[in-house]
Amino acid sequence: MNNSALWIVLYRMRTPLLVLVLTYSIAIIGLVVIDGKNDMGEVYRMNIFDAFYIVTYTATTIGFGEIPYTFTASQRIWMSMIVYATVMGWFYSLGTFITLLQDKLLLSQLAQNKFEKYVKNINQHFLIILGYNYISSEIIKTAIASGVRVVVIEKDEEKVRELNLENYTPHVPSLIADVHDSIALEKAGIRSKYCKAVVALFSNDELNLKVALTTKFLNPNVKLAIKSTTNSHAEDLRDLGVDIVENPFEIIAELIQMAITNPDMRVLQRWVYGSDRLKINSKSVPKGKYVVCGLGRMGKVLFHILKENGIDATFIEPRKKVLRDLPAEFRSEVIIGSADEKNLLIKAGIMEAVAIIASTDNDTQNLSILTSARRINPNIFTIARENEVEDISVFKNAKIDLVFIPARVLIKKTTNFLIAPYSNIFLDLCKKHVDPIFAQKIVTKLYNEISHNPETFGIKITKEKAYAVHHFIKYKNRKIKLGIFSKSLINRDENNKILPLILLRGEEKMLLPSGDVEIQIDDKILFASNEVARNDALDIANNLYELFYAYYGKEKNTIKEVFKWIK
Amino acid sequence: MNFDKVISGFFIILAMTLNFGFFYGDLTDITVHSKFELFAAIVVNLIATILKLGDKTQMGSVLLATSLVAVIQLIAAATIWAMGAYVYVLDRELVSLIISLSGGALAANVVSVILYVGDTLKSKR
Repeated sequence: MNNSALWIVLYRMRTPLLVLVLTYSIAIIGLVVIDGKNDMGEVYRMNIFDAFYIVTYTATTIGFGEIPYTFTASQRIWMSMIVYATVMGWFYSLGTFITLLQDKLLLSQLAQNKFEKYVKNINQHFLIILGYNYISSEIIKTAIASGVRVVVIEKDEEKVRELNLENYTPHVPSLIADVHDSIALEKAGIRSKYCKAVVALFSNDELNLKVALTTKFLNPNVKLAIKSTTNSHAEDLRDLGVDIVENPFEIIAELIQMAITNPDMRVLQRWVYGSDRLKINSKSVPKGKYVVCGLGRMGKVLFHILKENGIDATFIEPRKKVLRDLPAEFRSEVIIGSADEKNLLIKAGIMEAVAIIASTDNDTQNLSILTSARRINPNIFTIARENEVEDISVFKNAKIDLVFIPARVLIKKTTNFLIAPYSNIFLDLCKKHVDPIFAQKIVTKLYNEISHNPETFGIKITKEKAYAVHHFIKYKNRKIKLGIFSKSLINRDENNKILPLILLRGEEKMLLPSGDVEIQIDDKILFASNEVARNDALDIANNLYELFYAYYGKEKNTIKEVFKWIK
Repeated sequence: MNFDKVISGFFIILAMTLNFGFFYGDLTDITVHSKFELFAAIVVNLIATILKLGDKTQMGSVLLATSLVAVIQLIAAATIWAMGAYVYVLDRELVSLIISLSGGALAANVVSVILYVGDTLKSKR
């Protein structure tokens, strides 16, 4: 009995229906009992059917007239009494029913039923996104563009309306409910075999933890992307088995670390995330004295990174209490005061500094800090944290050398994790090579051998995704090397502009596999290539004739084979 | 004493007794079956059905189902009677059809009463 909407209607309609039945039966009995006269002037009594018919059309105010014979005075007296009773009864019932249709409770029940039915009918992979805001809207757009459906749970009705106004195609169903409510999550299809992942990127850590707990309890197999801004929460989340824990401040710290020590890795990451094209010979940020404004959560992360890299830095922070969290020997490096004051900046050594980082949580303040710093020292390298994504044009016009946007990083990282898992693994593997030369080599290779903006695509050697290759290996026992995907289908002696990035075989991960690696069934390969090479590689993977040509260097001749077989 | 129980019990049992009163008698002779008793049985059955609406318990659902069966059978009987009187001739076949339909409704009413009594006995309050 889950259909609450129907029960609400039935329950509320009880009294009106009783009133209708009573008035009708009284009216009918009266009509049947009272004497009438037929056209011959004889005494006549109406039968029950005629009485019911008359009451039916009178009560609904249709009024077909007096049948089967003209009424007598006593019948008319009775009719004039029952008309009021039955018509009132009808209006009362109709009124109650129409009020019911506008009832908030009923409407939300109907909306929930509709949502549930819709989610049940989604028969392709989908994500459940909790909470609708700028970040989730960007994730929704990316997910839809790559053919993954999205379901949203949001508490605020206003935001759900916003989502519906966006008119995503295909439709993104949304449910108004508490995000940590297990019933709501079940309605959103968390137990469905198509549910790929749950995303919760709330700024409230407690809420994120709660969501993670509920989700893991409901379906331990589903992937989880959860945001966390403190380490203790992050650990709790990892203990729960959350697949990706996202701390925006750590992400930014990693980016700054990259910018300082391994600029090519940053270029590579930006290319994989689709934010920028490849660049060679990118320079790292200058080394020397740094001034950092703001020692909040992000400032503290910066503090550790700069210390680890042996960079001399002075911090400016208006709140005195942050000093308490710092080791005693570093307290002298912090100046208490507001960073947009000129004197303070000079006191912090802005004249000798090579770079300034504005990392407060206030965009206006960050901009004003960098502007005044530039006025004092025009050659200084400026780095800013941008909190509100809406301010992007302002930051662009301010000509800041390096801008970090936590929200955007969060979006890119989440979508990449959920939608392009192979390239995510590729990035993780590359990051393990601390030596900056390694990333530089990859970037240079990609740039020189393909283009400044290669596209990536994956091939999985299965019957569905790579029919021809699968067929050759499994049924013809041919040995196929990875290099076959590089062959040009116009002339197999020439190679296309394509580069395998990783090959995944079970637990084994091969970074930049060579063309001599033999392909096995269920291998997953990520390539970077231009468009022509991608089309050729996908043709070779799926089309027996193309694979035959790439493998043997001649056309497959089916008719000849058939004749041979007949002989 | 629960006044709600008195009312719903009254209508459920009255629905059965009225129906029995109509059903009792020669199966082929319409003159021993009063049309007013059929009318009363229909009205009381309707009221009993409406009273059961909105009860979300398992028992409430089954009671509602039996009541619906009874109401549908009785209305079918009344409709056939009206058709027989106006359109066709009310012969033995039609009369026995009307009475046996009400007999079926009576069976549903009996089930309803048994369930109701069982539920009441089970109740601790």
